[in-house]
Amino acid sequence: MGQYKFTTVEEMPPLAFSLESTRKIPTGSWRHVRPIYKEKSSPCEIGCPAGENIPQYFDLVRNGKYEEAWHKILEDNPLPGVTGRVCYHPCEGQCNRGPYDEEIAIHNIERFVADKNFRNRNLPRSGEFHKSEKIAVIGSGPAGLSCAYQLARKGYRVVIYESEHEPGGMLRYGIPHYRLPKNILNKEIGDIKSQGVDISVDSKIGGNVAWTELEKYDAVFVAVGATSSRKMEVDGEDLQGVYSGVEFLYELNNGRKPKVGNRVVVIGGGNTAIDAARSVLRLGKKVTVLYRRTRSEMPAVPEEIEEAEKEGVKFEFLVAPEELTGNRGKVSKIELIRMKLGEPDESGRRKPVPLRNSNFTLPVDTVISAIGEAPDLSFLPYSFLKKGVRIFVDENYSTGVPGIFAGGDSATNPNGTVVNAIRAGKEAAISIDEFLGWRAKSDGAPREIVKPEEINTFYFPHEKRVKIPRMKVDSSVSTFKEVNKTISDAQALEEVERCFSCGTCLHCDVCMTFCPDVAISKDEAGEYVIDYDHCKGCGICVNECPREAMELVEEETQWV
Amino acid sequence: MGMNDTNDLRKKNGLMHPSVDKVLVIEGTHAASHAVRLAKVQVIAAYPITPQTGVVEKLSEIVSHRELNAKFIKVESEHSAMACCIGASISGARAFTATSSQGLALMHELLHWAAGSRLPIVMVNVNRAMAPPWSIYVDHNDSLSQRDTGWIQFYAESNQEVLDTVLQAYKIAETVSLPIMINLDAFVLSHTSEPVAIPKQEVVDEFLPERKALFKVDPAEPHAFGALIGPEAYMEMRYKLFQAMEDAREVIRRVDSEYSEKFGRSYGGLVEEYCMEDAEIVLMTSATAVSTARIAVDELRSLGFPVGLMKVRAFRPFPVDEIRELAQRVHKIGVMDRNISFGATGMIYQETKAVLYNASVRPKLFGFIAGLGGRDITPETIKDIYSYLLNHDAPESETIWVGLKSGQEVRPEGGNASSAAFGQNENV
Amino acid sequence: MGQIKYQLPPEEILSPGHFACPGCGGTLTMRYVLKALGRKTVVVIPACCWSVIDGPVPYSAAGVPVFHTAFEAAASTASGIKAGLEMQGDHETTVVAIAGDGGTFDIGFQALSGAAERNEDFIYVCYDNEAYMNTGIQRSSATPFGAWTTTTPTDSPKAEKKKDIVQVLAAHHIPYLATASVAYPDDMIAKIQKAKEIRGLRFVHVFSPCPPGWKFEPEDSIKISRMAIESRVFPLLEIYDGNDYRLTHEPAGSPVRDYLKMQGRFRHLKEADIDVIQKNVDEEWEGLKGKLAYSMKVHKSNNSVRSQDKEVSLAKAQSRKGIKRNVR
Repeated sequence: MGQYKFTTVEEMPPLAFSLESTRKIPTGSWRHVRPIYKEKSSPCEIGCPAGENIPQYFDLVRNGKYEEAWHKILEDNPLPGVTGRVCYHPCEGQCNRGPYDEEIAIHNIERFVADKNFRNRNLPRSGEFHKSEKIAVIGSGPAGLSCAYQLARKGYRVVIYESEHEPGGMLRYGIPHYRLPKNILNKEIGDIKSQGVDISVDSKIGGNVAWTELEKYDAVFVAVGATSSRKMEVDGEDLQGVYSGVEFLYELNNGRKPKVGNRVVVIGGGNTAIDAARSVLRLGKKVTVLYRRTRSEMPAVPEEIEEAEKEGVKFEFLVAPEELTGNRGKVSKIELIRMKLGEPDESGRRKPVPLRNSNFTLPVDTVISAIGEAPDLSFLPYSFLKKGVRIFVDENYSTGVPGIFAGGDSATNPNGTVVNAIRAGKEAAISIDEFLGWRAKSDGAPREIVKPEEINTFYFPHEKRVKIPRMKVDSSVSTFKEVNKTISDAQALEEVERCFSCGTCLHCDVCMTFCPDVAISKDEAGEYVIDYDHCKGCGICVNECPREAMELVEEETQWV
Repeated sequence: MGMNDTNDLRKKNGLMHPSVDKVLVIEGTHAASHAVRLAKVQVIAAYPITPQTGVVEKLSEIVSHRELNAKFIKVESEHSAMACCIGASISGARAFTATSSQGLALMHELLHWAAGSRLPIVMVNVNRAMAPPWSIYVDHNDSLSQRDTGWIQFYAESNQEVLDTVLQAYKIAETVSLPIMINLDAFVLSHTSEPVAIPKQEVVDEFLPERKALFKVDPAEPHAFGALIGPEAYMEMRYKLFQAMEDAREVIRRVDSEYSEKFGRSYGGLVEEYCMEDAEIVLMTSATAVSTARIAVDELRSLGFPVGLMKVRAFRPFPVDEIRELAQRVHKIGVMDRNISFGATGMIYQETKAVLYNASVRPKLFGFIAGLGGRDITPETIKDIYSYLLNHDAPESETIWVGLKSGQEVRPEGGNASSAAFGQNENV
Repeated sequence: MGQIKYQLPPEEILSPGHFACPGCGGTLTMRYVLKALGRKTVVVIPACCWSVIDGPVPYSAAGVPVFHTAFEAAASTASGIKAGLEMQGDHETTVVAIAGDGGTFDIGFQALSGAAERNEDFIYVCYDNEAYMNTGIQRSSATPFGAWTTTTPTDSPKAEKKKDIVQVLAAHHIPYLATASVAYPDDMIAKIQKAKEIRGLRFVHVFSPCPPGWKFEPEDSIKISRMAIESRVFPLLEIYDGNDYRLTHEPAGSPVRDYLKMQGRFRHLKEADIDVIQKNVDEEWEGLKGKLAYSMKVHKSNNSVRSQDKEVSLAKAQSRKGIKRNVR
């Protein structure tokens, strides 16, 4: 019909009919608001101290790209096998699915990804050591490993000084095998080493290695952790049969079996206390945990407390030790006082207050004290600024001594968790990079965080959270073998499918599906393209986006 | 009438032409049905209305006997009948419907739609008076009320002409892309049996090959038909339709002579003249009244009166050239309308007058209204009219009602009066 | 399971640049219908919003042949096109009439009823926006009780219930009848595709929200549709042969109030009015449940389209008496 035109009567067809599509009509000019794709932060990634990009690696899992998912995690955390097992997963507490039905089991997916790549040595090495500066890291715990790894990826040569015979710090010596098998730790430390990180074991700074050795380095990161148990400050603390939790676990992790009696109590409410108590069970003994506040104030990971209970650990709340008494140098009794909860303290938890004349005594033969740990900073030669028992650092992890940085449990603002140590290592690496002049701190505007009410829950039918496969209790208490198992591929897929993927586009096509103006299409790379010549700005795409990855913005008015 | 006379008549009427398959004595409605069969119409959609029913009944029989491979959609209204035909026609098929009077009026909106869509639909309309009061008898107000819809209109004089015109109509319609309405008088043709030559199918096929639609709804070449159009092009669209109607004049003439060559019958194109040699006074009329007028003319001619007759076969397009040419030859023209446009005059008269206004020669023009609602038009009626024409130099009024029953003479007070009447009270 | 996603036929037949208002439900209807039917389709459009939406001469958005016809003539024109195509040997092309509620419930109803009774072989899709929107929001017999329109002002809103066109058409015993919503495109496309495979008159009633006519923000078009379905104002159904009912989506039964409150056309309603509407919806729903139960008993049909075997239902549909497979 090319011969026709609606110009003159001669050129017009005998009846009125169309000669071309409406595509020529720029109906986009009707628009006063413009939809855009704008990714936002999910609350989980904000909640993750290591800053793992959870929606992105979930998407890779969803597509069966397990190696890529692993690489995605490795950008922020070189120890996913470790954190997938032992992290207290604050991410899950932030999960927008929580208020809707049940939060996503993020840590299980992390563990799944790590375990899927257990035999995979193919890390995304960023390049050769193109930077001439050398950096020393003191301590191969999670903070030290994280920092060294990130620096290596940035192109630095890094040496870690580790006083113990094997690297890993508290990961190796503080966490029992049934929670974190050593092969997992070894594998991931191996991965870090494969990035060119040199770990010098049996090298104690201030011991067999002089502090001055460090002068050859351009920067130092101090991450010695908190390895000394805090004292109970009660009489009888030095009696035989009284251990610190750290000490007890150290022995176990060195393959030795500390002697425990038949009446074992553990003092404290943190993870060390729970680890110690569950370990005692595995040594074939009964155990009671004594804690001065109530269950809800316990700093240990709730699942761990549940597990401990399931396995037969007894709990006694609102009690504090007053005195240990012994018989021939061996502990035989513990005197306790009952407590009540008073006003909240600076941690926000209600402070335990002793109840007068409530003392009572229990017969004991083993007491494991796990009321907190402090760093051993005796090796530090300079008068480093300290705050309490820890090295003072500013927000850039700088100690104030040029080139000396610190982080993790030995520095200020610790929280005693693996993932926070990893975060400290990662962030300190950025500060060190910047200190060495390689990297200008690029502070992009913080992304908005998706709120639960912004999720279009219509698209998400209610579904149960994945059930973590676990060894039977009967068998688990008789062995130090790992209790929890890795979820299956199918379970992992189901769980990532539950994820709202808040703020991160999953190319689910909902925007495209509901566009009345046929103005959204996909380019060759599979990315959405909005045809602004025709988009009328109705906003359905933005409103329907299940995960708030789009936004409507005002058009600038153009007066023609 | 002797045997030879009969044969002459048969010859004259083309009944003995080699193209003839058989001669059937049939009603006008059935003549239409047979034409539809011969035209190999593919889609028929119709709703029954007296006196059209013969058309659809016969077609139902033809289709169910598989004498015609067509879809016959027995719709729930004339409106839907026309819509179905429009649909069928825009799909590229040959479509047919038949109606009458009220049914045609109900179609009105879609008559515009068919013409505006330039669809070669052919429709038989049995002319019946409009209600109220109810009447099932002939007059032409139903079809003439549709004159501005863009349809070509033919008025048939005989059952044979009905058949022949339907066949011609498809050829004309498909040439100029306009719909055509063939009108026949209620009962006088629709329910009156006459011998009708049924042509051989193969000759019809030669004359009227399969339709090749210029435009259709074709998924291979998608267009939207009839969408919104702005003032910048609507007028041109109307000009195109106007022009097609103009072009139709020549096509009608050409197709009629082509038909004559193939089938031995001709109707003169837009008009047909009778006894026009040396005629000084001529009567123009249409449809079956023409046959009656032929008898009156024969009689008056035998008495020596210089009278002639012009049959208006096509009302749209209006035979402008033919009438202007006629005006050159005669002194007086009478127009007998079997219709009335209230507030004006008979419609053929009105249009004839309009045609002559700019003509170089303008004979005296007389407008007669006769035969409304099935009132008989007899040879006497026609002779009365000729008599009036012979006896008056000019019409006494713009409309002269013939045969009106009145206690008084309906006579104009002066020349400007709008109506006069005679016939009932007066013997001319 | 995970997120609800829609697998639509990828080909976009509808072009952008059409003249629909932002957020138009009727346009999504057309988009999905075209996706479901493919390019071998002829569309008939009577006077309705789509007479404008498709674009002015010389443009057309539809991408398939469109014939614009008179207001009351969608079903009859479609009958004629189908008959014409069949007579020319084209048994493949799907003819679909797409009409608004005015052209379906009101002025076009006679032609539709006639075509339904004759079981003409085409699909009739009514995009129901519950008033004469193209002419400026006048009430139609599809306008619901209590709604404001320009001819039912707020001091005398529509006092009559919406015409139950589905029941009326079911009473014509047509082989396939379905209701659909633009908020459930997979359901809608499945129904249109099923309709495509069945011969005879197939009627699909699509709930198509109109932002300017119902007075809501265009971005809420889908949300409102969803609320209509989930509140049982508009159940998603299939009816075979006018008596075999199936529910294709189990509505949540959310309060009608939430649906009404989103629309300016119901803003004047008092709590008592809302209660009446809720009661009407509940009664209709009970009635429908009775029909569904009866169908279950008599036809032993599976009351869920999601688990329905398409082949089986297709064979069933084709074996119905009176269905014209081919024209001689």
